[in-house]
Amino acid sequence: MIAELTSISEQTKQRLQQIGAVDLVIGFADQRAGEDIANLLPKIHQGLSGLALKGRTVVLVPNYGVAVGDGEVVNEESLALFQYSLPAPDPSISAAQNISGAYRVIWRISEELNARACAVFISAVENLTPQWIFQLAQPVLERNFDLVAPYYLHRKFDAMLNSSILYPLTRAIYGKRVQNPLGPDFAFSTPLLQHLLRLDSAKPRSSAGHDMTLIEPAAVVAKVKVCQSILGERTYPVVDGKDLSSVIAGILAPVFLALERDAAFWQHIRGSEPIPIFGEDLTIKEESVDVDVRRLLESFRLGFSSLQEIWGVVLPPTILLELRKLDRLAPEQFRIPDELWARIVYEFAMAYRLRSIARDHLLRAMTPLYLGWVASYALEMEAVGAVTVQQRLEKLCVAYENMKPYLVSRWRSPDRFNP
Amino acid sequence: MWTQIQQALNASTARVITTIANLLPGIAAVFASLLVSVVLAWIIVFLFRRSLRKVNFDEHLAAWGFQSFAEWSPSNSPTLLLTRAVSWIIVLIGLLIGISAFDVTLTSQFVERLFTYLPNVFAALILLMAGSIAARFLSRSVLIGAVNMNLQYARLLSAGVKWLVLVLTWAMALDHLSIGGRIVYIAFAILFGGIVLALSLAVGLGSKELVSRSLEREAKKATEEVENPFRHV
Repeated sequence: MIAELTSISEQTKQRLQQIGAVDLVIGFADQRAGEDIANLLPKIHQGLSGLALKGRTVVLVPNYGVAVGDGEVVNEESLALFQYSLPAPDPSISAAQNISGAYRVIWRISEELNARACAVFISAVENLTPQWIFQLAQPVLERNFDLVAPYYLHRKFDAMLNSSILYPLTRAIYGKRVQNPLGPDFAFSTPLLQHLLRLDSAKPRSSAGHDMTLIEPAAVVAKVKVCQSILGERTYPVVDGKDLSSVIAGILAPVFLALERDAAFWQHIRGSEPIPIFGEDLTIKEESVDVDVRRLLESFRLGFSSLQEIWGVVLPPTILLELRKLDRLAPEQFRIPDELWARIVYEFAMAYRLRSIARDHLLRAMTPLYLGWVASYALEMEAVGAVTVQQRLEKLCVAYENMKPYLVSRWRSPDRFNP
Repeated sequence: MWTQIQQALNASTARVITTIANLLPGIAAVFASLLVSVVLAWIIVFLFRRSLRKVNFDEHLAAWGFQSFAEWSPSNSPTLLLTRAVSWIIVLIGLLIGISAFDVTLTSQFVERLFTYLPNVFAALILLMAGSIAARFLSRSVLIGAVNMNLQYARLLSAGVKWLVLVLTWAMALDHLSIGGRIVYIAFAILFGGIVLALSLAVGLGSKELVSRSLEREAKKATEEVENPFRHV
C-alpha cells in the first residue's frame, strides 16, 4: 500500500491503525500549529461543524527536529490529534523542498488511515480560520472533487511571482484557470493522493531532498476533478532581497521540469477554461501604498549591463533589442509589454529544457528581468483599485495564451533559433 | 702506394655502403610505419568526425562558453580542429614507432623519453580543460550572484575570479610539464598576489560608500522592510 512511514513511531502507527473509520485527515506544516493547540482546536471544531462527517477526523501537527514526541496529544470522540516528526528545515535546499517532506508524511498517514479526504495546510497557522477548513474539505467530501486548490484574496502587490509567472504560465500551458497552482494549501481525495505518491516515489532522490511533483499540473494531466475554494486573506512572508534569486530558482525549477515532463499533454491545448469555484466572493480592501521602484529598476539596469553574455544565450536578438529600448526609458515610462514578458518566460523555459547554460545559473539570471516586470507593474498599478488589478492580470494571462503557439513552435524545433 | 690508397678508399666506401645497408631496414620500417599510421589516422578521423557531428559538438561547445575555441579553429569548426589534431597525433606516433625500429641507442632513448613525457602532456591538457570549465562556471556564479546583490562591480569581481582560476590552472599545467621551474613559481605568485591585491583594493576603495550606506541601511532595516509593499511569494 505505501512504501514507507518513516516519520512516525511504531507505537503511533499501531495507535493510528486502531482509530477506525476516518473521514478526514488535516495536516499542518507550521510548527506553531503544534505549539498552540488550545487555539487551534476550536477553529478546527468550528470548521468541521458544517460538514456531514460519519467517521473521525485526524489532525496532524509537526514536531520539527525532535527525535521523539510522536504520539497522540488529544483524543476525542470525533477528533484525534497526533504529532509527527519532521527534520528541521534545511537551509541548503529550497523552501519548496523543505515543504515537500511535510506533504509526503501527511499523505502517507492519510493513505494508511484510508481517509476519504486529506487537507494540507502549509501557510502560517495565524491565517487559519474555520472557513479555511470547511472550504478545503467540503468539495472533496461532499461534491466528489479530487483536488481543491486555494483561492486567496490578496492585495495588488502580494504574490507577485504567482501573478507574473506561475498563474499565467500554468493557465496557458495546462488550460485550467487555477489561481494558485503551487498552493500551498490543498485538499485531496484518496485516489489522487495515491496517484501523487506513486509519481513522487518514481522520481530519483538526491541526498538533499528533492522537489515534489507539482500538484495542480499532475492533477490536470491525470484528468481528475479540480476546483478552487475561496479561503480569504493570507499573509505573505517578506523575502529578503538577497534570497530572492534562490526563491525564484527553487519555485521555477519544478515548474519548468513539469513543462518538460508533460510536453505531450499541453502542446495541443489552446486557451483556458475556468474551473468551479466555491466560497463567498469577498473583496479585499485596498489601501493606497507608495511604491519606490528605484531599486527594482537599478536591478534591471544592472542585469541588462552585466548579464548580456548570459541573456544572449537564452533570448533571441529581437527580445534583447526590446530590453535595450526599455533600459533607455525614463523610470516613469518604464513598461514591459505583456507579450514581451510572456516571450521572455517562454524563452527561459526553452533554455531550461535545452540546458543552454547551467540550470541554476539560468533561473537566477532571470531575477533582474522579474524585478523589471515588478517595477513596470507597480508603476502601472500604483493608483488603481482591486477591479482594475484583476482586469490587468487577466490581460497578462491572455497574452501568455496568445503567445503559446510561439512556445509550441520553439519546443518542436529548438534548433531554429541559434544565438 | 696507389694500391694502398685504393684499398683505403674501397674499405671506407664499403663501410659507408654497409652502414647505409644497415639503415635501410630501419628506413623501410619508418616508411611502413608512416603509411600504416596515415591509413589508420584516416579511418579513425573519419569515424571521429562523424560522431562529433552527430552529437553537434560545435554547437554544444559554443553553448558551454567556448566560443573563442571556435574562433581559433579552421573554418570556425572545433570539430575540424580536433580531428586534424587527432590525425597528426596518430601520424606522429607512427613516426616515433618507426624511428624506434632503427634500433640505434640514441634514437631509442629519445623515443623512450618522449613516450615517458607524453602522459604529462595529456595531464596538462586535461588540467587546462578542467580549469577553463571551472573558471567559466565560477565566474558566471559570481557574476549572477553579484548582480542579484546589486553590486555595481559585479563584472570586475567575475573577471577577477575567472583570471584567478585560469592563472592557477596554467601554473599547475606548466608545473606538470616541468617547464620554467622556479621562474613559473615566482611569476605565478606575483601574478596571483597581484590579482588578489587589485581585487581587494577595487572592492575596498570602491565600496567605502557602499559600506557606509549598508550600515545606514542596517540601522533602518526594519522600517524599510515594512515600507516595501512587494510580497513575491
